[in-house]
Amino acid sequence: MNILTMLWKNLWGGNRTTLFPARPKVSAGYRGLVEFDPELCTGCAICKFRCTARAIEFKAGKGEFTWSYDPGQCTFCGRCVEGCAEHALKEGHTEHALSQESAPPPIYFRSGELKHAYTVKRKTTVKAAAPQQANAPSPSPPANSPAPGGTQ
Amino acid sequence: MNLTTALARLLIFPGLLFAIPAAWFFLWVERKSVALMQGRVGPPFMQPFFDFIKLLGKTTPPRSGVGGLLMRAWPLIAVSAAAGAVGLLPVLPSSGGFEGDLILLLALLELPSMCIIAAGFSSRSIFGEIGSAREAVLSVAYNVVFLLAIVSIAAAQHTFRLESLAALPATPMRWLGVLALLVCLPAKLHLNPFSLPNAEQEIYSGPMVEYAGPELAMWELSHGLEWVAATGLVATLAAPYITLWWLAALVFVGIMVAIVLALSTLASATARLAIDTTVRFYWQCTLIFAVLAVSSALFMRLRS
Amino acid sequence: MNLWNKLMCYSRRHSPWLFHMNSGSCNGCDIELVASLTPRYDAEQLGVRLEGSPRHADILCITGPVTHNAVSAIKTVYDQVLGPKAVIAIGSCPATTNVFIDSRTLDGPLNKHIPVDVYVPGCPPRPDAIIQGVAKAAEILAARGNNPPSTEIVIAETPAEVQP
Repeated sequence: MNILTMLWKNLWGGNRTTLFPARPKVSAGYRGLVEFDPELCTGCAICKFRCTARAIEFKAGKGEFTWSYDPGQCTFCGRCVEGCAEHALKEGHTEHALSQESAPPPIYFRSGELKHAYTVKRKTTVKAAAPQQANAPSPSPPANSPAPGGTQ
Repeated sequence: MNLTTALARLLIFPGLLFAIPAAWFFLWVERKSVALMQGRVGPPFMQPFFDFIKLLGKTTPPRSGVGGLLMRAWPLIAVSAAAGAVGLLPVLPSSGGFEGDLILLLALLELPSMCIIAAGFSSRSIFGEIGSAREAVLSVAYNVVFLLAIVSIAAAQHTFRLESLAALPATPMRWLGVLALLVCLPAKLHLNPFSLPNAEQEIYSGPMVEYAGPELAMWELSHGLEWVAATGLVATLAAPYITLWWLAALVFVGIMVAIVLALSTLASATARLAIDTTVRFYWQCTLIFAVLAVSSALFMRLRS
Repeated sequence: MNLWNKLMCYSRRHSPWLFHMNSGSCNGCDIELVASLTPRYDAEQLGVRLEGSPRHADILCITGPVTHNAVSAIKTVYDQVLGPKAVIAIGSCPATTNVFIDSRTLDGPLNKHIPVDVYVPGCPPRPDAIIQGVAKAAEILAARGNNPPSTEIVIAETPAEVQP
C-alpha cells in the first residue's frame, strides 16, 4: 500500500519537473569549459602535459607560442587548471591563466566547431611589449596551430 | 438494424469518426496520469495525434512476397476489428443492436491480439517470435477467465445482447463478473504488471520489432481502439440505465475514464511480471473464481 | 499540400522517438540519457519516447567511442532507422574519442561511419544538455523531412592524415 500513498501524494503534490527550456542550476564545484587568459599565461605547458584527453595543444615558437583547446575532446577533469594553479603558486604568482567555468558546455553541430586557439607573444622580462593575442574562434588559424578540427 | 444504421454506427458514432479521437484521448489520459503519478509533467494533450501524423510520414522498409503482404495486412485487420468492436458499444440508450452482439464484440476484441501474434511470427525476427509466443501464452491464460466471466454474466441475465445487458439492473453475479473482467483488462491492454509481450528493453518491442511508419501508426491506433472497446465493454456492464441520452453518454464516458485511471494507477504502481508468474496468476488464482461464477450462473439459470 | 506539410513538420518536431545505442561507452552517458526520462528532467514533456526497436525511432542516440566490434552494428542499426532521421552523438566519446584517443581498440570518431547532426559534449553531459540536444535534433529532423537531401548523405570529414 505504500506505493499507492506515494502515487497519491505525487498526483496531488505537483510535479518536480524542470520545464523545458529552463535548466536546473549546476552545483558549486561543477567543472565546465576551460577558460584561458592569455595575459596571465607564462607558456610553461604544464596544462598540455597534464591533459588526459589531449584537448590542449601547445606549440612553442620563437618569441611566441600557440595554445589551443578543443572542448569536444575535453573530458572536463580539471587537471590542467590544477596544474596551472600549482605552477603559478610555485612561481609566486597569485593568478593563473586557466579557470573552469561553472556551466555545462554548449551543444554543437559540426565536429571541431568549438575548438579555438590563441597565439600569445612570450612576455619579456622587461614587459615592454604587451602580449598580442589572436582570438581565433575558427578551427584552424593557418600557420601556427597544429591539427585542423575534427580529427582525433 | 438495417444497413444504413449499421454503417452509421460503424463509421460515424460510435464507430471510426468518434472512436479514433476517443482512442487518442484515452492514450493521452493513460500517459498523462502515469506521468502525474510519477511526479512528472507528461506529454501535452495532442501528443498521440502528433505521434500518429509523424508515423504516417516515415518511410517503410521494403517488404516482398506473401510474407510482406501479410505484414502489411495485420495492422489493418487489427484496426478494423477494434473499430468494429467500438462501433458495437451501446453508448446511447436504445441504440439498437442485435441478438448475440456481445459475442461479436468479444470476437472482434480478440482479433487485435491474434493479429499481434501473427505479426510477430510473420516478421521473421527472433524477437518477434519470442514476443508472439509470450502474447499467445498470455492470451490463452487471461481469455479463459475473460470469457467465463462474460458467459456467467450473460447466462445469469438470460441475454447475449449488449443493449439488454445495459438496460437490466445489476445483480451481484454481474458485479462478480465485472470484477473478473477488470482483473483481465491489464493483460488484454498490455499494461504493467502483465505487459510482457511488448517489453521494449527486453525483447526490442517483441512482435512490433520490424514495423515502422504508417504500419506502426495503425498498430498504435489499434491499441488505442482496444482501450476504448475494452473499457466500453466494462462500462456497458457497470453503468446504470439512464433514459436521458446525453446523461447516459456522459456517465458511460465517465466510467470509461475512471477505468482508465484505475488501470493507469495499477500500471504505475507495479513492475512487469515474468511470463511464468503471470500465467500462474491467471490459471491458479482467477480461474477458480471464474469457474465458480459460471457454474453458479448456470445453476441459477437451470433453477429458474 | 502546404497545410499537410506544416502539420507534418510540426508533428515531427513534437514527437521525437529515440533509439539509444552504446558503442563501447563506459555507461556514464547511458545513465544520464535514461536520467533525462526521470521526473526532474522529464523528456516526455517534449514527446520523447525511448523506443525498443530502431525501426520505431527517428533519432539515434549513440554513446561511446566506436570500438572495432561496434562499427558494423552501428552501420546496421543506422540503416535500420527509417525515414527522416537524425543522429546525436552523446558525450565527448563519439565526437572525438575523448580520453581514448589513439587506442588500438577504437575505430575513429562516430562521424567517420555515419553522419552526425548534433554533438552533446560532456563527460557525461548533464541530462538537461541531452534534452537540449534532442530538441535541436528534432528541429533538424523536421526541416530535413520537408526538404530531403537530393543526394546520398556524404560521410563528413574523412580523416586527412593519420597522426602517430
